Amino acid sequence: MEDQVVFRINRLKKSFGDLKVLQDVNMQIRKGEVVTIIGPSGSGKSTFLRCLNLLEIPSGGEIYYNDKNILDKGFNRSAYRKKVGMVFQRFNLFVGRSVLDNIMVAPVKLNKVSRANALVEARELLSKVGLSRFENTFPDTLSGGQQQRVAIARALAMHPDVMLFDEPTSALDPELVGDVLRVMKNIAASGMTMIVVTHEMQFAREVSDRVIFMADGYVAEEGTPDEIFSHPKNPRTKEFLSRVLKEEE
Amino acid sequence: MTVHFGDTFANLMPKLMNSLLTVLEITGLAFCIAFFLGFLIAIGRMSKSKILRGFLLCIVEFFRGTPLLVQCFYIYFVVPALFKLAGGSVSITAFTAGVIGFGLNYACYMSEVIRSAILSVDSGQREAGLALGFSEAQVMLKFIIPPAVKSSLPVFGNYLITMIKDTSILASISVAEMLLITKNYAASTFQTIESYTLLALLYLVISLPLSQLVRVLERKLNRTKRA
Repeated sequence: MEDQVVFRINRLKKSFGDLKVLQDVNMQIRKGEVVTIIGPSGSGKSTFLRCLNLLEIPSGGEIYYNDKNILDKGFNRSAYRKKVGMVFQRFNLFVGRSVLDNIMVAPVKLNKVSRANALVEARELLSKVGLSRFENTFPDTLSGGQQQRVAIARALAMHPDVMLFDEPTSALDPELVGDVLRVMKNIAASGMTMIVVTHEMQFAREVSDRVIFMADGYVAEEGTPDEIFSHPKNPRTKEFLSRVLKEEE
Repeated sequence: MTVHFGDTFANLMPKLMNSLLTVLEITGLAFCIAFFLGFLIAIGRMSKSKILRGFLLCIVEFFRGTPLLVQCFYIYFVVPALFKLAGGSVSITAFTAGVIGFGLNYACYMSEVIRSAILSVDSGQREAGLALGFSEAQVMLKFIIPPAVKSSLPVFGNYLITMIKDTSILASISVAEMLLITKNYAASTFQTIESYTLLALLYLVISLPLSQLVRVLERKLNRTKRA
């Protein structure tokens, strides 16, 4: 069970016109793993993550999710996406809907959960992310960090098997990053399979089981946090880390 | 020559009130048609089918490129004539012709408003909906159209006011709306100054509060956007 492969990605390619963003990405993600993807901007990390839930359609290759190729014709995208939660860099909370409504709309409409049960669960999730006070407020009155925590609760409300995080703290003011990362750490501790594209090296180092360094549309290096951060082998990884870690000091 | 405003008011006003009802009926019906048809056109114009998009663009350009009054004439006089030519028969009252003409014409204008409002909804709304497992159609209905409609409410309000005033052109196809009633009254009593002044004032009494309402709405929407 422990080693069950959730994602097997083979020779994944994605181009936008002439621009080849993903050249050849191969990867496996096991159940319960927390994998962070780091790398310079333009390396294809976000595009890769967006391919995983088909917000971008790959130009080539295969993505096996529990041994089913999600790129096959006739693959049930909606059912798949219900099981693969996504958290966006810019939160993307539904405008004009209260915090509770944002969290409840998908379980009620898609999973046919009763409103009463959905409400109970939404409140539990809100207290988990520390936002119980805000259940009836509207997203545009919340800070970025609060919005992102609501977005995380919204994704969790679908009971996903996997959570994808696309630079979840990149759009936040520095003092708000901590709250979001704390919530993500709790989710990781609960055994969730997580794929996190991030610039937070500290988080990558502390929380992930495996770190993947992407550059120029390839996986340039991967390993345990210790291997990547303390003993990087690829010169690109070394150069990248020395640059970002200097900035962090 | 003396003016008799009191006399005109007493005699013309009840008639105008009756015709105001006709105006509101036409506006109400035509606006509903315009709203729903406008939506369908807007969504159709974003469809994947090139043929559908081209066809709808032609329709929109046709209705925006010809005068509303000509369109109403066409529906009132030409359509029945065409039916007759084809061996059938259809009778269209002036009222119906007005409703259809206004409905179609405004649908084309409003489809452009709706289309741009839909396109201006942040793409993140769509992505968040899809990522949760909603279909494209569900995303459109639940997460794109509501904010799009909300943001275009002031524009719809202004179209509604314009439509009320525009119904005066239906006097030319004998709809018993306010201008025609006034014209007949003025012609039979020679109270030209009083009648048309009263008519103009009545239009103002209707449209000014509505404009004010739209302005309040606009301010409210801007405020929530800023916060």
